[in-house]
Order: sequence, then structure tokens, then C-alpha cells
Amino acid sequence: FLHYSLSIALPPLSYLVAQVRPLHGSGCGQQQEAVGMEMRPETFSIFRTQENDPDCQSEQHQGQYYTVPPSHFHTVFPHGLPPRYQQQVKTFNEGCVMVRQPALELISHLKRADYSKPTLRYLLYGVKGSGKTMSLCHTVHYCSTQGWLVLHIPDAHLWVKNCKELLPSSYHASRFDQPIQASNWLRNFRTTNENFLSKIKLRQRYVWTKRESTEEGQPLGELVDMGVSRVKSSSDVVGAVLKELRLQAGGTEGGFRLAVAVDGVNGLWGRTTLKKEDKSPVAPEELTLVHNLRKMINNDWCGGAVIATLSQTGSLYAPSSAYLPQELLGEEGFDSMDPFIPVPVSLYSEKEFESCYLYYLDRHWLQHPHSQTEEGKKELIFLSNRNPSVLERLCAFL
Amino acid sequence: MAAHTLKKSIWSLGRIHCHIYGVNVRNPLNRATYATALSTNHSSQNKGFPDRGNKGPFNRRSRREAGDPRTDRMPVDQDWTTVYPTATPFRQGSVPLPVRMGFPVKKGVPPEKKGNLELIKIPNFLHLTPLAIKKHCEALKPFCTEWPSALDTGAKCDEHFPVKVECKDYVSAGTSLRNPSARIVHLRVSLSACVNYDYAMYLLTVLYHESWKMEAWESEKTVADMEEYSWEDSPSQKNIMSTLVRMQVAGEGEGEAVREELLGRPEVQEYRDSVTRLKNEGESESSMHQYRDAVKKVLNL
Repeated sequence: FLHYSLSIALPPLSYLVAQVRPLHGSGCGQQQEAVGMEMRPETFSIFRTQENDPDCQSEQHQGQYYTVPPSHFHTVFPHGLPPRYQQQVKTFNEGCVMVRQPALELISHLKRADYSKPTLRYLLYGVKGSGKTMSLCHTVHYCSTQGWLVLHIPDAHLWVKNCKELLPSSYHASRFDQPIQASNWLRNFRTTNENFLSKIKLRQRYVWTKRESTEEGQPLGELVDMGVSRVKSSSDVVGAVLKELRLQAGGTEGGFRLAVAVDGVNGLWGRTTLKKEDKSPVAPEELTLVHNLRKMINNDWCGGAVIATLSQTGSLYAPSSAYLPQELLGEEGFDSMDPFIPVPVSLYSEKEFESCYLYYLDRHWLQHPHSQTEEGKKELIFLSNRNPSVLERLCAFL
Repeated sequence: MAAHTLKKSIWSLGRIHCHIYGVNVRNPLNRATYATALSTNHSSQNKGFPDRGNKGPFNRRSRREAGDPRTDRMPVDQDWTTVYPTATPFRQGSVPLPVRMGFPVKKGVPPEKKGNLELIKIPNFLHLTPLAIKKHCEALKPFCTEWPSALDTGAKCDEHFPVKVECKDYVSAGTSLRNPSARIVHLRVSLSACVNYDYAMYLLTVLYHESWKMEAWESEKTVADMEEYSWEDSPSQKNIMSTLVRMQVAGEGEGEAVREELLGRPEVQEYRDSVTRLKNEGESESSMHQYRDAVKKVLNL
């Protein structure tokens, strides 16, 4: 076998050699490191792959970490990554994402889908900490490298709670605007999709006040800039942007594909913690942002995909053990999302756990001497039950 | 003797004084007596006060030394019912168990039972050991009547007492007396034991006919009132129909014919079954997988 001969040629890094035992026996056939890898001895590692393009990743790379190029970080993920992961990226000075089965499945669906049909909705669900947001980010990275326009809403729950300012909407009497959230989101949207802003032209005239309006044929960038600067009407600008993108995605001339990535989509149906001035609760549909986003999630447009995750952390009035779609979405949410393709995200498999463990060892994150032994590894498996986020928190102590 | 009474009076005077001055004599250092890992044992030397040489009203030297806790003198085969005959708060000197309770502060362990307020606060059942309950039963026996000797088989009991009512009571240590499961009462009647057959048949016939009558308010039954989920006319059906129509799966045609054709397809049937199963049975991994496969088939993936 190729990899055995390579291991002899390596300098005696004991943990690397020790791990080259049949841990890849499950599932994925040939030894991954033989495929798509450059044979540079100093970077030989079982848990990494050099295949940094999500398009070319396949089951062979399952369980391995690929590096997101630093240039992509600020453009693709200005607001999408989980906070602990962002800290990890800063600490390790690199952003490595594990290639896992749910993301691969999503990407393969996206590759094969027919974009003239109504949009398909994909829903990632799983227990807390199993890696739904990271799978979503992986898919978003794929869409971004393929040149899609990405509409990433980092957490829909942020729009239904803790909102300091609620303005009554100028456009629709019974609705409420959230200027701060809307302008923040528009700013991040602008960072992500710089190149599309000049290419897409508006198809309709939008009047904001008596003196301000955006004409037909103007580039989308102007609309977004206006929304960022005029914070008061930013929620309506968001609505206009979503509508334009919906109409123009998948169009035949200058068509682009639109990926709507929503994290915590169960926040859109349910309850909010916001109150009106007379202390009566605000229903989600009375918020402009939520109303417009719900329209995006419907499948009455074509030329893109809706990828959503459920999230119990941050959700309101949901029990902490709930993770299945119907429990978190509720009846209304389920009926709106139906028919969707549920994609379960499970805990780490044995191979993925090994990979993660080796990665932490490689980054010298596990400092405790006991954690580098077999006994320590078994303890980690037992304590974390192979839950990715629990493992990450445990290793942060070591 | 006189000296002793004098000491006592000085002592009580001293205590009155300190009540006036607002100092807590029992806890001279005002240390918290719970949730600390520090020892609260003041019994030996200093009592925490610097030696004042027998001066002042807070004279410690004359205080009677606390004796050994009762646990030291407990034989293993003692009668526990004498230690805790009734419901009393936890006394750490009377319970010979090394119990710990409380929040471990700063990498410590839960504090020990000595001076532990947490153990005193919670209700305990130390007075209800099996032996104690046996003793209670023995004591109650003189007040009970004998079981009637004629009712010695189950069949005879059923014959004489056909109606059985079963109530459940729940005991728990908590803030509330009430337990919602205690409201459920089971009443059992064996139909074959009923004597008045004609009356029973009459009742059943009446009920049957009554159940067929429709009241005016029944027509206001909404989807939320339905006992079971029915897929027809549900949002799920509407969604899938519109999706399929837009996907132009069935080819061109007018509304009704297309709908019928779509509904008759096996994938749509499967989809309908999976959604019904999800809604009626609740969710589980297997039903989600079934739904997933059905959706993939329907949408031709």
C-alpha cells in the first residue's frame, strides 16, 4: 500500500505513525490521502485534505479538514460563522472545516437540481451541537465559489428578540420595522456580494419619501447603499432587495443562482419577545423583515435553493430537548416549508472523531499530557459522546 | 452551687446584653454556616475570639463544652425508630451517615453535614424507615376490622361488588400538595355482571341514535378540533399540488383532470402517507426518513 511506504519515509512523528492503523476501515474505500493530495512529507496528515474547493470534494474526503482560503473568510462569512468557531479561527490562524456527510449530500443535490423548477427547500436538523451551522457554512462556501448570489441570514432568531427599536412601518400600517437589524444585515450582504451589486438592475421604481426614490434600471448597489445610510427605511429596502432577487434569479438574461441560507429558520414561525407600546405581544408576521423573509422561503420562485437549519439555542419558548423539525417549526412552519428535504446531521462518527482529535493535537490545542494517550482519548469519547461542540468545549479546557 | 448560679446569671445577663447590642452569640464570627468548605468547628481552643483573659460580657471560658455527637455512641444494631420517632429536621449529630450537600465552591467538594443548612432545609424521611412503618401498622391493627371471611375468593368479591373504583394517591416531598395524576379515577364495571340487561340495551340504543344527530355548533368544527390529521384539503396537499403543477410534471391539461391524475400517482400517495404519519404519530427518526424518501421521489430527485 502506498501509505505504508510513505509512513516509513516520514520522520518519526510518533502520533502520526501510531494513527496510521485501519481507522478508515469504515465506509469510504480507498485511502483518501492517496487521492488529491500532494506528497509533501511535512504536511502529510490523515485528517487534512488539500482539496480546498468544495466543488471537487466527495465521499473520499469525508472526515477530513479542508482549509478555507483566508481571502474568502471576510467576504463569504462576515456574519455567518458560529462565535466559538470564529474564536478558534483566530487562535489557530486558519479556518478548517471538516467535510461531512450532510454537507456533501446538500452539495450533490445542489449540483444535480434543475433550476427551472420551483425552488427546493432543504432543512438541516439534528441535536444541539451536531454541526448544522457548520454544514450550512460549508454549503454557503460552495455556493459562493460557484458564483451564486448568497443571501445568508446568520440567525433568524436575532430578528424576533432583543430589538431595542421598533418603528411602525411606513409602507404597511400594521407592520413594524427593525432599522438596526436591517441595516446590519444589509451591510454584511453588501460585503458578501460585491460583484453582483453592479450587475443586477432594478426592475421597478421604489419611492421612499417624497423626495427620494430609486429608479428603474439602477444597479442594486445603489439600493443597498441607500438602505445602509438611511437607517429608517432599511427594512423596506431589505424587502425590496429580496423581491428583486426573487424576480431575477434564474432569469434567462444575466441569470444568476440565488442561495437563501437561513440559520435558525424556526424563529420565523412561533412567538417573539417583542412588545408593542401597549404591551401586547408582536406576532412574527407583523415584522417587516420576517414577513419578507417568509416570502423568500416559499417555493413560488425558481432559480435557486433555500437551505435552512433549525436551531434550538436562541429559540424562544422551545424546550431544550427539541430538535426534530415539527417540534421546532410548529404546525404553521411545517406547513409553510412543506415539501422540503430534511437532512439529518448526526454526531461525529468514529472516523470524524479521530480526525477532529488529530487536528487538535496537530494544532497543539490539547496540552494536557493525559489527553495525548489512548486512555485520554477514550475519556474524551465518553465525556463528549462524540458531540462536536461538547468536544470542542472540553478540549478548550485541556 | 452558688458560684454556678452566679455564673449562669452573668451568662444570661451577658446574653441579654448581646441581644441588645445585636450581636449573634451563637455565631460569634458571623460566618455562614452553610455552603462553605471551611470548617465551622469552634469547639476547641479559641472560639475565634482573641483571649481577653476572662474579661468582658462575652466570657467564653465558662461556657459548657459541647459533648461528642450522638453518632459516636450509636451501636450498629440500634433501634432507629428511637432516634427519629417523628418527623424532625435533620440533626447532624444524630445521623451517622457521611452525607454531603451543597454547591462545591472553588474546586471544592460539597460541604459536609456539620453546620449544613441545606440539609436542614430539605424535608427528610428518616422517621419512615420500613421498620418504623411496620411498627405503625402493628399499632394500627387493633383499630382495623377483620376481612369478611365469606369473601375469600376473587369471584365472590366480583359477584357482590361488581363496581370497582380505583383511586391513586401520590406522596412526594415538594412545595405542592397536588399531583395531577391523582385526579384520575378508574371505575370498572364488568358488563356481564350487570343485572338489568334491558335497561342497558335501551341506553345503548339511545346513545347510538343520539350520536348520529348533528348539532348546529358541530359545523363550526375547525381544523384545530380534529382528532386526527387528514391530508385532504390540508396545506400540505395544496403545497405539493401547486409545486407539481408548476413543475409541469403532468403535462398540460385543465385543473381537475390534472389534479386527479396527480393524486393517483404512487409517489404522491407515499408522500401523503408519510405526512399523515408524521402528523398523527409524532416525529421520530424513522418517520423523518420516510418523509425524506417520499419527498425525494415526489420531486424527482
